[in-house]
Amino acid sequence: MDKLLEVSLGIVTSVGGYLEIGSIATSAQAGAAFGFQLLWALVLGTLCIIVLVEMSGRFAAVSHHTISDAMRERFGFNFFLLPLTVTVLLNLMVLSAEIGGVALAGEFATGIGHQWWAVPVGIVVWLLLWKGTFGLIEKGVALLGLVTLVFVVAAVKLGPDWKDLLRSAVPSLPQQDSARYWFLAASILGATISPYLFLFYSSGAIEDHWNESYLWANRAIAGIGMTFGGVISASTLVLAALVMPPSGIRDVNDYHQLPLLLTKVFGFWGLVLFIASLAIACLGAALEIALQQAYLVAQGFGWNWGKDLMPEAAPAFSLVYTLSVIIAVVPMVLGVDPLNLTVFSMALTAASLPLTILPFIFLMNDKRFVKQHTNGRLGNIAIMAIIALGFVLAIATIPLEILSGG
Amino acid sequence: MNLARDIIDKQVVDKNQAKMGKVDGVVLALHGGKPPVVSYIEIGGITLARRVGRRTERFIRLLKKRWGSPRAQQPYRVAWRQVRDIGVDIEIALDVRETPVNDWQNWLRDKVIRRIPGS
Repeated sequence: MDKLLEVSLGIVTSVGGYLEIGSIATSAQAGAAFGFQLLWALVLGTLCIIVLVEMSGRFAAVSHHTISDAMRERFGFNFFLLPLTVTVLLNLMVLSAEIGGVALAGEFATGIGHQWWAVPVGIVVWLLLWKGTFGLIEKGVALLGLVTLVFVVAAVKLGPDWKDLLRSAVPSLPQQDSARYWFLAASILGATISPYLFLFYSSGAIEDHWNESYLWANRAIAGIGMTFGGVISASTLVLAALVMPPSGIRDVNDYHQLPLLLTKVFGFWGLVLFIASLAIACLGAALEIALQQAYLVAQGFGWNWGKDLMPEAAPAFSLVYTLSVIIAVVPMVLGVDPLNLTVFSMALTAASLPLTILPFIFLMNDKRFVKQHTNGRLGNIAIMAIIALGFVLAIATIPLEILSGG
Repeated sequence: MNLARDIIDKQVVDKNQAKMGKVDGVVLALHGGKPPVVSYIEIGGITLARRVGRRTERFIRLLKKRWGSPRAQQPYRVAWRQVRDIGVDIEIALDVRETPVNDWQNWLRDKVIRRIPGS
């Protein structure tokens, strides 16, 4: 395929697939509670994910290894078990939250409670993977996902104070509610720096047979795609800051408040657009996470894997995503609140980042894998500083958040 | 070559590039006073579980005893001379279908997956 077309498709996939329940929920809570003030966490997180996705594509293109494969090979299976277990458990939580997101869209559209939607949504996710057609529908879901750009349109339409926005890109201390502030900062970092995102990207690069001639394409996809994605998240935060407080909402603790992000600007059509955005964004993310789960385990144990393989060709691989979807549906059926689960799992993600990212940084500096394409020193230091920040904030604030019953 | 770094835990593929697990262990042979030489690589849950811990090994052995095929009771060994290439993967000169490595996945396919409608 023409490389330019591939780059464009890659960018569309990244932009359309960027938004998911994690970024919507954390941005909405942060905007409602602290205005633009937490924008800096989004900026840092976006910088970090741009660099990580670029690294992930570069790693796959040069070493012809997926990250999980290389981690097991380089550090040994016993070490690999640790990031493997933690990522598998977190993926299950986030998958559950994404299924909850689609289910919420179902509730907003029909008035039928989201618990009732969980099983049908799980079946749709599973069928799309089971039929072995994910490679085909991936681009379709991503194209539909461009509907999330409506958040940007709405934010621009409300005309935020741009000077104020720019100032918020620099970290500042909160005037009140410090515990909540830092917890949200950690959650935003966790939602933005999704491990499944860059792990998934490296598997895709291997499946598409990338080699060193793809390095510039990779840079363009990571840079442009993730920047646009970050802009959509930032728009959500801006919308929440401008829309929620005037309606008397400082604390977004009820998912019924979420559609307000768009209904305030577009009225009835805002509700329709919000439902469509939520459903598509969360469905796309659920598919990716379920698949990433299967990639991770199959690559970790050396089994056959591939997104277009029929279950007969990769039985164990199919078993992993099947079980994952079944397990993830359970909390939603039992009535766990999708919003609480989301924000909590994002903070946990932030706490877990060093486990996946530090070994990855080691690999990116190992010439036997990436030859002369090792990381620059600046990249290494920047990534480690940002994930250290996320880790410290999460570890310090998760207990407070649990104690306060948030 | 460094055994732990370059061999252990690497992906193994058969002569048709089909993935067939990873190098879970190596078997060294001693001949007189000469340095040890690699005689086999081992593929299989028992070897892998042994590296994690005694209890994990006992657990996997129990599972295999109960549900595993007769030929899957011991780790599968590939003679070192069958190793054709050590690159991104370790390629061996066998066909995975002639080995017991994928017995449990075949069972899964025949007994479970084929019975699910739509596959």
